[in-house]
Amino acid sequence: MAASVLFACGLNEQKLPKFVHISEESNCDGSFLFSCILGQRLRISNAGTVLVCLQHNYQHYFHAGMRLGYNVNIFLDKTLNVVDPLTDMAEKGMASKWLQDERQVTTLLLDGIRDYISASAAQRISTTILVDNLAILLNLGATKEEIIQLCHELAELPKQYKNLAVITKLSNCDLYAPIDNCVAKLGTLRIRATQLKSGVSRDVDGKLLIERELAANSVKEAGEELEALQNGGYELEQMRKEVLYKVNDRNIKIINPGELGVKV
Amino acid sequence: MSSFRKRHVQKPVPGTRTSPQTGQIITSSGNPSFDVIFGGGLPVGSICLIEEDKYVTFSKVLAKYFIAEGVVSGQSVLLGSLDDDPQELMRKLPKPLNDDEVEIEKSTEQENGEFSQNGLRIAWRYNDLPPVNSEQIPSKIGHHFNLMEHMDKNLLDFVDTLLWNGNSYVNSDEVDDDYDCGLGDEDNVFSAIESNTESKDDTDQNTTSSSSGSNISCKEVDLEQERINAAAALLSGNSNETLRIQNATKLQVDAVQPPIILGQKQNNNCEKIFNNSKYQRFLKLVQSFAKEEKFSSSTLVYRSLCRICITSLGSPLWYDEEFPKNILKFLTVLRGIVRNSVSVCFITMPMHLISKYDESLVPKIRNLVDYAIELESFSGSEHETNNAFKEYNGLIHLHKITAVNTLTAYMPETSDLAFKLRRKKFVIEKLHLPPEMQEDIKENMQTFSCSGGSSASATSMDF
Repeated sequence: MAASVLFACGLNEQKLPKFVHISEESNCDGSFLFSCILGQRLRISNAGTVLVCLQHNYQHYFHAGMRLGYNVNIFLDKTLNVVDPLTDMAEKGMASKWLQDERQVTTLLLDGIRDYISASAAQRISTTILVDNLAILLNLGATKEEIIQLCHELAELPKQYKNLAVITKLSNCDLYAPIDNCVAKLGTLRIRATQLKSGVSRDVDGKLLIERELAANSVKEAGEELEALQNGGYELEQMRKEVLYKVNDRNIKIINPGELGVKV
Repeated sequence: MSSFRKRHVQKPVPGTRTSPQTGQIITSSGNPSFDVIFGGGLPVGSICLIEEDKYVTFSKVLAKYFIAEGVVSGQSVLLGSLDDDPQELMRKLPKPLNDDEVEIEKSTEQENGEFSQNGLRIAWRYNDLPPVNSEQIPSKIGHHFNLMEHMDKNLLDFVDTLLWNGNSYVNSDEVDDDYDCGLGDEDNVFSAIESNTESKDDTDQNTTSSSSGSNISCKEVDLEQERINAAAALLSGNSNETLRIQNATKLQVDAVQPPIILGQKQNNNCEKIFNNSKYQRFLKLVQSFAKEEKFSSSTLVYRSLCRICITSLGSPLWYDEEFPKNILKFLTVLRGIVRNSVSVCFITMPMHLISKYDESLVPKIRNLVDYAIELESFSGSEHETNNAFKEYNGLIHLHKITAVNTLTAYMPETSDLAFKLRRKKFVIEKLHLPPEMQEDIKENMQTFSCSGGSSASATSMDF
């Protein structure tokens, strides 16, 4: 179902990179990536997940998950915790805490995530935080600096908790390039969903540009910073890959550029 | 203990059906050929943005279709506009056609088609082939309307409508058609309705705690059904039904609780969220309207669909110093409200003006809606005189189609679409260029002149 796209992005393993950033260009929908990752994390026994629904409400992830063959409701409030500001705004209207103070939006979000993690992270074999998406925080009044600060704080969480991974998404990344780059620098894996330059195609929905820093992560884990420095700091190795994708009704097809039979 | 559990089957919301393509609950936009773009209709919980044409002619027609469909289907309608008078718009809704009229309409069109086919000059043998209609019509879900005539005013009495023009609102349940609160001040508007909220709260308590309350909700179900039947009867032109309809409406006024107009008292204490109070006032209204129990997706007893229509959102009347910030926040909150209730939202926006204000706002706004469709009108543009487009009034550009509550969205067969406004209806067709006739070319050749005369072919020349 979603194995091919996760494999292509390097997210198919039980242990994820500590910070992953997904960028979405204007007029490009990368929501399917979150549904795929969510399904993969929920399938791991005793792995906790915190989902921040800003782009869609919880119902969307439920329905999309059903298409991919998993039922989110089974895991809700067990291994899955949801922070859903959209629903809160719909229920409480102008009295919603998310609308009261623009300066507090990112703080509220971080507090919500921390509450869930502190309560359950110790009991879980791993925890994943999924933030979909940061651009909505800008719409709610958060500043560029506050978003970057939030991401810095999120990137600090894996140092406090063992086996914790953070995955963020930013739409309209071409318009918010400074934020996008600053947030992407915090992690070792960056996925960029873009449109085809040649226009709309029936066989392909878009392109995924995957950038991964291979050596940096392993150096930090093994504690061999000194060795890396002795080598002139050239341990960093970047892997860059491009794949095409097609989102079908119940699965996602990954196509390599130049593959036969694809009309782009 | 038995593991048997009674299955609760939810009644379908009137005027909706399940899409065979995506499995979502969809509702008609009011125009059958427009529904084709969405795969049969708009998914419930989605926001459709129409990027207005320059003279706001065609986008207004689509908005009228959207509202008219809600009225005919017995759904609740919330209409907000600063540029147009909502009451005027409601008065000018197109008249629904009954089945017989639709059949007559179709047969007339077929006859016209045959007439034009007789004059086919390319290849006579194509005359034997069945006629090809480029206007796509999905399986029946919505209604057909006649733009030449206005809707019967009585039909409007059977639906909950809430109209907002920036300063005041008119609620069909509480007042007569021509009633206007006439309150300009925000606080006044909401303090005026607060008493209704309290009474609503009281009745809500009754419904949950006492048996009499449950009777009310059952009665509501029957009455709503009766109301739809009555509207359908009126549509079919049966005058005997009129008395029954009036009784139904009267009963409904007695039994059905007035809708909540305002949230809790604590709302009064909340800070100013928007610098421009119009956004805040309208959002409060939308939130209170969509929060009604019948629009709740979890309700098993009776559900209804809420149609929210906002025309010319983002026009200069909405402008202020922090317009980009306000409009983005407004759409974000609106998105939350629409997603969490059984409602569908239709917005028209003058994107050509917004792009002049701030170019980067356009993709940001498109990101907050589920469908972004641009109407490019030929009037006033160089395409107006172009022979290739002489059949059409404009082009349709599909900028965004999002998968709402599913993995992938329905994609129309083609994105090359054009529209034309006929006398009685608005039609969207696949764009196809007319055949190039031998005689036409000769005519053009004869009128061609290097001196730059008044002929159509010469006007496009640079020298």
